[in-house]
Amino acid sequence: MARAIVRGGGVPSGSAGKQGMRRAEARSILYRRVAVIVILAVFLLPLLWLLSTAYKPTRDIFATPPTLLFSPTWSNFTSVFRYFDLPELLWSSIVISLGSTVLSLLLGVPAGYALARAKFRGAVGVAYFFLAIRTVPPVATLIPFYILMRDIGLLGTWWAVILINTSLNCAFVVWMMYAYFRSSPISIEEAALTDGCNDWRTFLTVALPAVVPGIIASAIFCVMFSWNDFLFAMFLTRAETKPISVALLSAYGTKDISWGTLGALAHFSTLPIILMMLFLNRYFVQGLTKGVN
Amino acid sequence: MTDLALPISRSPRNAMPYRTRRRLFLLLMVAPAIVYVVLIALWPLAQGIVYSFFDYSLLRPASTSYVGLDNYRALFSDTTVRTALVNTFLFTFGAVALEFLFGLGLALLLWRDDRFNRICLSLLLIPVTVTPLVVGLIFKAMLSPDYGAIGYFAAEWGLSGEHGFLGETSSALMTIIMIDVWEWTPLMALILLAGLKSLPTDILEAAQVDGARPLQRFRIVVLPLLLPSTFLALVLRMMDAFRVFDIIFVSTGGGPGDATDTLMIYSVKQGLQFFNVGFASAIASVMTILIGIMAVIFILVVKPAEARNG
Amino acid sequence: MKSKTLRGYRLALLTCCMAAFPAAVFAAPARHDGVTLTIACENDQFARVLADMAPEFTKATGAKVDVDIMSYPELATKTIADFVGHTKGYDIVTMDIVWSGQFEQAGYTVDLTDWIKRDTAELDLDDIYPSLMHALGGYDGKQVAYPFAGYANVLAYRKDLYEKAGLKPADTMEEHIANIAKLTDKANKIYGFVANGQKGPAAAQDWMQYNMQLGGSILGNDGKPTLNSDANVASLATYKELFDKYAPPGAADYDWGGREESFRQGLVANMQTWSVGAADYDNPKISKVVGEVGIKLPPTAKGVPPQYGIGGWGLAINADISDAEKAAAWDFIKWIDSRPAHKEMNMRGAGSYIRKSELTDPDLLKRYPFLPVVAEAFEKGNGDFRPRIPQYPEIQDALGTAVNAALVGNGDPKSVLDAAQAKVVKLFK
Repeated sequence: MARAIVRGGGVPSGSAGKQGMRRAEARSILYRRVAVIVILAVFLLPLLWLLSTAYKPTRDIFATPPTLLFSPTWSNFTSVFRYFDLPELLWSSIVISLGSTVLSLLLGVPAGYALARAKFRGAVGVAYFFLAIRTVPPVATLIPFYILMRDIGLLGTWWAVILINTSLNCAFVVWMMYAYFRSSPISIEEAALTDGCNDWRTFLTVALPAVVPGIIASAIFCVMFSWNDFLFAMFLTRAETKPISVALLSAYGTKDISWGTLGALAHFSTLPIILMMLFLNRYFVQGLTKGVN
Repeated sequence: MTDLALPISRSPRNAMPYRTRRRLFLLLMVAPAIVYVVLIALWPLAQGIVYSFFDYSLLRPASTSYVGLDNYRALFSDTTVRTALVNTFLFTFGAVALEFLFGLGLALLLWRDDRFNRICLSLLLIPVTVTPLVVGLIFKAMLSPDYGAIGYFAAEWGLSGEHGFLGETSSALMTIIMIDVWEWTPLMALILLAGLKSLPTDILEAAQVDGARPLQRFRIVVLPLLLPSTFLALVLRMMDAFRVFDIIFVSTGGGPGDATDTLMIYSVKQGLQFFNVGFASAIASVMTILIGIMAVIFILVVKPAEARNG
Repeated sequence: MKSKTLRGYRLALLTCCMAAFPAAVFAAPARHDGVTLTIACENDQFARVLADMAPEFTKATGAKVDVDIMSYPELATKTIADFVGHTKGYDIVTMDIVWSGQFEQAGYTVDLTDWIKRDTAELDLDDIYPSLMHALGGYDGKQVAYPFAGYANVLAYRKDLYEKAGLKPADTMEEHIANIAKLTDKANKIYGFVANGQKGPAAAQDWMQYNMQLGGSILGNDGKPTLNSDANVASLATYKELFDKYAPPGAADYDWGGREESFRQGLVANMQTWSVGAADYDNPKISKVVGEVGIKLPPTAKGVPPQYGIGGWGLAINADISDAEKAAAWDFIKWIDSRPAHKEMNMRGAGSYIRKSELTDPDLLKRYPFLPVVAEAFEKGNGDFRPRIPQYPEIQDALGTAVNAALVGNGDPKSVLDAAQAKVVKLFK
């Protein structure tokens, strides 16, 4: 009970049984909720505005003074479908994000495990090294990487983007899984090992199942990073491998801002990730909790 | 950690002692990731550093020549770089500090673990998932003083300068910071909330029994316990903020004037627009060094504090 | 026998297509089966029309055409990256005329001179404006791109506002500025003037246009930059004054899109712009000034010979692609630039003119009555007010920063242009 009160925001306890206190607490919760709803509006309205432009004719988007009223139209969606090969764009985005996610997990999860279980002093250092990789400014690596990809013939393919995204994502996965494995109990693994399980099978059948939420959380982050990346993709893909993040910029025309088109395209670029996040929210939150503590 | 090195050697043909075998196994587990990162991230980075000593333009590859430190010299005498450097630091620290403060406030609001808060939290995370490019475009449109849903009224009521938040030299950088704050505060709140929830309840209760007032209790008990757990989040966020690109690229392009020019914007322009690989690499190298220094300082300052509070 | 039937079938199909859609007319359409042409296409009015019409070319020749529509910065980066990397990602690219020098110097694209000579009869060259043939891809004796979309710089003005104020659109900058002052009514949110102020290409390009009209020049007679000449400093000061006193508040942050929007939404009385946007002012779906807009040639300062700005896009063929692809690309260019196809393109609102016959075409004139103005600009036009030299990108960037800095009060015109000059002069050693 004390716990609940603390979480309730620190109303002095000790008199929790008294009616007045409870009413005060209820009121305080109400205030908080109102505040949270206001904040929620601040964070969500801009996005709703963008999505709503998809249903507005250009005249209404640029009404002066701005107004909430508009005559709904589908024309922005029809033009998106006409001038952008939407299935192809989405497919590229999916291939790039999933490809990079799978690769990052394949590389990062075992590495995180090894670092967490090694009794080598430098393990933390290695973990930090992976983290440091993420901080390198893209321009430093992008042009040499571009030349490298050209020389091995991968430029313009999904692989180029997947590979470079993976180098950043995998660094992140290593760190997160390192934290996960460290906080997962080692005793069962030891028992398995003494039972004659070899290292590899112990890792697969004992250690991995215990950290599934962590893997899901890492995957969410990887998908999100790769899906939203635009600089690498813009530079490394070509017409048939272009993901939707790059197409978003294409929709922003020079002579005509086409907010409506952009809003329509934004449906397809943001909603999948938002939905994924909402559905897997539990893991997302959990992943961060573990990853930082 | 208990000692794993149990002296078990089941198969007779396996001459290797368990301890060595285990080490080898762990090494093999971590090796692919290390090799990968070295090949895909470090090797190009090293090449980039080499390029920074050359006058190397992709547009005129034939006239490539070794120029020693010339690119660095040019960089330090370049006024744009100086402004960009200042802006980069202002942005990084401004954005992260505000995100921390607002995030903390939000986390405290959502501390109580109930259904309402859980739903709100997941909704709040939506901005985090939106492509930064889109975020930049949204705010560019909304803040336009001529038709923006916010900008129009802000200009009308004199809240913003005549040219709008993004159009005035004095407010552009702050506006960019606020856009970044919009996108990342929820994530910061989530991390802080995770930290709050993991605080040991007994200490909090003890503080309550001591009769400490809420603010005091927060400062003396909660904050010191919370900081270490958010240390990593702060570092990560800072590194990302240091490399901010998409938002600025689409909203101001570094303007007005050079008010929102950052090292990242400038290096991308030099590298991917003018293909001045040498000069762009020099900027990128300087950025890498600066980030490194920042990270070390941060670790040196925060880690001991963490140990003290441990 | 089987192949004969097939050929017959194909022929029938072809005739069908040709009857249904005259744009697909070919003297003797060569087959390019199995070839895919990828076009890196600027997101301008012509982009969507091009995407819509491309299947006709496929029907006629068998070559698949992918139109990759891109924004300006994306197009600039990706095409150059494709060229320097020799990655053959794009077969045809739309080339902003200001890239001519850069393309020529680096040899990124096929020099079309010989092909043009070879196919003169087919190309109907007399019908294409010589000024455009030169500006939209001719450079230093080579033809690095073929004219595709010619734009003329015109003055769009609000007839209703002029009438109400009892004014007439002016032919000299001096009178024009006086008009701008009189037409500005800030209380009612009517502004006399608008131009691009956004840092980067937007600010640089619009200022270069006004700079020419006000008697300034980017390069001296020796071909070296003279960004900080007295005439340029004076013109930037005038430009700044126009922004400060008579432009919508957001203009310092406008690019082409923002500027056009302000005019379509009825905020401004005068706007100099590329003719390509002019068709949109009468489109009720996006414009609030339908029927109120006049188009005329832009004014010039007293004593400055009238010069009309020419801009637009050429189509360039990637030098790295195979001969078969080059042949298909060249056929595509010939087709889209042919009289019927190009007219059809403009009937669908591309706003991209290169042919004399288009600008006098009754169908097009009926729809776009301002075409004679464009014709006159093309007759007397100048595509070099933005120097199409290899160093253009850096000059544009230096100016884009300088002009925007001056507009937002981050330095006076003299000092910002001095700084820009110092930056670009290094490129001319």
